[in-house]
Amino acid sequence: DAPGATSALACSACHGLGGQSPSNTMPILAGIAPWYFKKAIQDYAAGKRPSPEMEPYAKMVLQFGVDEIAAYFAGQARTPSPVKLDAAAVERGRAAAAQCTVCHGASGKGDASKGVPDLTGQPPGYLRNQMLLFKADRRSPGDDTIKAVKALMKTIPDEQFADLAAYWSSVR
Amino acid sequence: APTVSDFAQKPGRRVVVIGGGWGGATAAKYVRLADPSIEVVLLEPNKEFVSCPFSNLVLSGVRSIASISFGYGGLRAYGVRVLHQMATAIEPDAKRVKVGDGYIQYDRLIVSPGVEFQWEQVEGLAAAQDRVLHAWKAGPQTVALAKQLQSMADGGVFVLTIPPAAYRCPPGPYERACQVAWYLQTHKPKSKLIVLDANPNVISKTGLFRAAWTKYPNLEYRGSNKVVKVDPSVREVATELGDKVKYDVVNLIPPQRAGTIAVTADLVGADKRWCEVDHQTYESVKQKNIHVIGDSTTGLPVPKSGNIANAMGKICAVAVTRMLNDKPVPPMAPGNTCYSWVSDREAIAVVNSYKIDGGKVVQIEQKLTPGQSEAWAQNAVGWANSIWQDILG
Ligand SMILES: Cc1cc2nc3c(=O)[nH]c(=O)nc-3n(C[C@H](O)[C@H](O)[C@H](O)COP(=O)(O)OP(=O)(O)OC[C@H]3O[C@@H](n4cnc5c(N)ncnc54)[C@H](O)[C@@H]3O)c2cc1C
Ligand code: HEC
Ligand code: HEC
Repeated sequence: DAPGATSALACSACHGLGGQSPSNTMPILAGIAPWYFKKAIQDYAAGKRPSPEMEPYAKMVLQFGVDEIAAYFAGQARTPSPVKLDAAAVERGRAAAAQCTVCHGASGKGDASKGVPDLTGQPPGYLRNQMLLFKADRRSPGDDTIKAVKALMKTIPDEQFADLAAYWSSVR
Repeated sequence: APTVSDFAQKPGRRVVVIGGGWGGATAAKYVRLADPSIEVVLLEPNKEFVSCPFSNLVLSGVRSIASISFGYGGLRAYGVRVLHQMATAIEPDAKRVKVGDGYIQYDRLIVSPGVEFQWEQVEGLAAAQDRVLHAWKAGPQTVALAKQLQSMADGGVFVLTIPPAAYRCPPGPYERACQVAWYLQTHKPKSKLIVLDANPNVISKTGLFRAAWTKYPNLEYRGSNKVVKVDPSVREVATELGDKVKYDVVNLIPPQRAGTIAVTADLVGADKRWCEVDHQTYESVKQKNIHVIGDSTTGLPVPKSGNIANAMGKICAVAVTRMLNDKPVPPMAPGNTCYSWVSDREAIAVVNSYKIDGGKVVQIEQKLTPGQSEAWAQNAVGWANSIWQDILG
């Protein structure tokens, strides 16, 4: 019933009721940090983080008021993605995840002061896609502020992304 | 299972929804979410919801009909009372809907009956409905058309005919052309697909479909070819210009109008085809306390899509609960994303966002995918899984 909730009705078609995406490629928005939500929306709307799906919706969010919508999604408790994980992949990912915790923290919950988002419980397909986009410099291409994460992804073989994704999806 | 007589008493406030498709099922669920003190009765003759989106993939054998069919159990869990019957009449003054021999009272009515075909617009069609298939409502016809395609001899001609706009799902026929062409190329390489389009050119995602078709030399597209006659005895269709085209299998998509109940209840405009509604509440401009959503509406400036019907269902549900609680209705706008599969593994998409300006729905932006890819197809799967759950579960 909050103003953000009625403005955000269009989002549930992809991101699920209350931002609780049930599908593998659509990220969960429930529990998303407001600062990160705002950054993502601004990057999409400006065409900086290219996404044909999100650019029009990001402009809609700015039209209706990004702060209210951010507050609405931040206020929803995150239930981890229901997408089934391969236990062996989770273990392989765990073994490789130390290189992520410097920035995302041991818990994977991110760090607002460094501009690093929460990875935990996201659908594995979404996490893997984003790693591939970083590697190919197709997420926010040319953005110097996130150079380090892209440089890291270039050192990781493509096959390992599914393992890392499975691991971070499994973390609670 | 409930019967009409179970609804003879109306103890509290009640919303009745006609049609458990993309718009109606969503609206029923979201009224319950917005205010669980309101009773919701959903009228839908079919026991299963079969998704039109992704049904073109059943024709090409890429997906099974079972994978796009769902029950109404999820809605019942939200407290929606589902009655598997047709509404046969609406009495706006008495605020009641006729179902079988009985009546169901409502405080507000939401009507989402989808489209009906204008059989009379194509000579010979009404009498040939069992052989000349539309497959434009997913279900038995989808399966039957897939069988016709599979049993066609290699070297055969498949004719797909497209009605003039406005019809359900502007890109749908062109996606279907891709799926049939892909199937023929893969399984019956000597066969051919002829597309007869009443419109002068591809009306949606034009450049993207045209680019996809360069990979299908077996697809012949003819614009401005409106089909006005079909004769199954000689397997032939005729166009307005008098051209005759022979087929081995035909898929004739007839011209369309709002669902019949919307016409008989006088919800349609002067064109006798589509219903005009308020852009913020979806209340009919012709009948008070009756709201119309989905394909039956004039379409504001939005396409007749499942995604739009779902968005209208949510907005209408919030509006109806606010109105029943004497509260103001906040501005809410729909959004639309239409993915189209151009092969067994690649897709394209068009995305539109909207705002409310001066009480009207106005487009903010339309965006197309820069090309076709497997990644968009994976997003299409993600969209489908999310939106099916948004509607039914
Ligand atoms: C091949 C194809 C592909 C498509 N692909 C896409 C796509 O990829 N994306 C997209 O967004 N859209 C797509 N669409 C469009 C989408 O299916 C429709 O826009 C959507 O179904 C409209 O929803 P609706 O609620 O208006 O009608 P429907 O979903 O058709 O629901 C109407 C319901 O009302 C019931 N009904 C009718 N009359 C009565 C009555 N008197 N009493 C009780 N019940 C009644 C019917 O049984 C039906 O279940 C596609 C359509 C087709 C045909
Ligand atoms: C048609 C599907 C669709 C709709 C509707 C949609 N999104 Fe998205 N959204 C996506 C996809 C796909 C991505 C991932 C895009 C990418 O690769 O960056 C995404 C990503 C996001 C992200 C970034 C998440 C992250 O972890 O970085 C945010 C925030 C977001 N969407 C918010 C919204 C809001 C708010 C709405 C409604 C106003 C909305 N979306 C509607 C498909 C959609
Ligand atoms: C040098 C710091 C750094 C390291 C190391 C790092 N990340 Fe990140 N990561 C970031 C930043 C910053 C962002 C946000 C980028 C933006 O704002 O667009 C991010 C975003 C992401 C995202 C997108 C999340 C979303 O919701 O869209 C994924 C997935 C991700 N990182 C995975 C990883 C994995 C897996 C590792 C280890 C293999 C890793 N990162 C290591 C800094 C880092």
